[in-house]
Amino acid sequence: MAHESHHLKPGALEFDRETDSPSLLLGVWLVIVLMALASIGLSSLGLGKYALPVQLIIACIQAGLVAYYFMHLRQSDRVVILTALSSLFWMGILFVLVLADYLTRTRHVGW
Amino acid sequence: MSAHTHSSVLKHHFDHLEQQHASERLGMWMFLATEVLFFSGLFGAYTVYRLYYPTEFEFASSKLNRVIATINTLFLITSSMTITFGIRAAKLGDRAGLIRYLVLTLLLGGAFMVMKGFEYNADFEERYVPGTLFRSEYNAAFEAVFPTSPLQPPLSKEQAKAYFEQDAQSAHPKHQHWAAELVLLNYGKSTKDPDYIDPGKVQLFLSFYYIMTGIHGIHILVGLGCIVWLIIEAARGAIPPENYSTVEVVSLYWHLVDGIWLFLMPLLYLAGAGWAGH
Repeated sequence: MAHESHHLKPGALEFDRETDSPSLLLGVWLVIVLMALASIGLSSLGLGKYALPVQLIIACIQAGLVAYYFMHLRQSDRVVILTALSSLFWMGILFVLVLADYLTRTRHVGW
Repeated sequence: MSAHTHSSVLKHHFDHLEQQHASERLGMWMFLATEVLFFSGLFGAYTVYRLYYPTEFEFASSKLNRVIATINTLFLITSSMTITFGIRAAKLGDRAGLIRYLVLTLLLGGAFMVMKGFEYNADFEERYVPGTLFRSEYNAAFEAVFPTSPLQPPLSKEQAKAYFEQDAQSAHPKHQHWAAELVLLNYGKSTKDPDYIDPGKVQLFLSFYYIMTGIHGIHILVGLGCIVWLIIEAARGAIPPENYSTVEVVSLYWHLVDGIWLFLMPLLYLAGAGWAGH
């Protein structure tokens, strides 16, 4: 193989130097922490059958904030966003098919 | 053939640094998608059995330590913030700041594991572990109320309650609080009773608890190992601003492990918060 030139192309070493603002990061942290404390506090209020959906919605919003701000999906390429959303899609397939099986079985007392 | 360019960061198979960074991010996100599926299997199984046996799962969950879970949640959320500040420091060329934030993240993650260690230790001391430990405690509490010998009469519900309360206040209690509560709740019920809290299914919850928090803990340890590696790299000057993406890909993994905990915590620890509790 012929010896190749490894001279850099123009602009090869440029990269996005934009950084997160500290107040943004602190703000996101505070919101996630407050939601966690709210979730823990609410759970002992006896919401009954609404406790689980409320906890899951809070967890989804927290994870969304972590993904959007801390994991920088806000500034990411579309292919990265697609990959992140694909993981949710495949997880969805898992839950739909597994639950469709188990929740439609006739269950006997004592199983 | 020489394999290096004039930059120590830009690898020869990439044309531009931006391209390299984008590829690194995409590669890590693809790995994270597999990690999401990994944990989804566990969460899916948990969902099935929580829907099948809600009472047992709520009872079992109420006996876990919510205080430690809260503290651990705060540790992890804060560690996600500190590692993101680390990326910022790397981009700005602030090596001391980068190392500082990485060390903070390491300490917070380490504190999580230490708390988890105390938590598991307390669980083991209470015999709140599925299998022989659980069974022997439950049987001991059950036989205190319903002796196997036909010569000893069983205690009435009020007598049983008084007995367990006295035992709990004694210097060396013979019974665990959760075993006593389970025996009292099941008093007078047959195993076919819909209100019966099956100890086997309580142990099923505990199996999920130990496996899910254990595997999550292993993921935390792997993340801590990566952060130690980053600290070493940063200390020897191998993370100039051009190489901030090395910190970013580790942080993506770390945020995912934090994100998984955000779902793990309410499902395992808050399921039974409405009960009288620990």
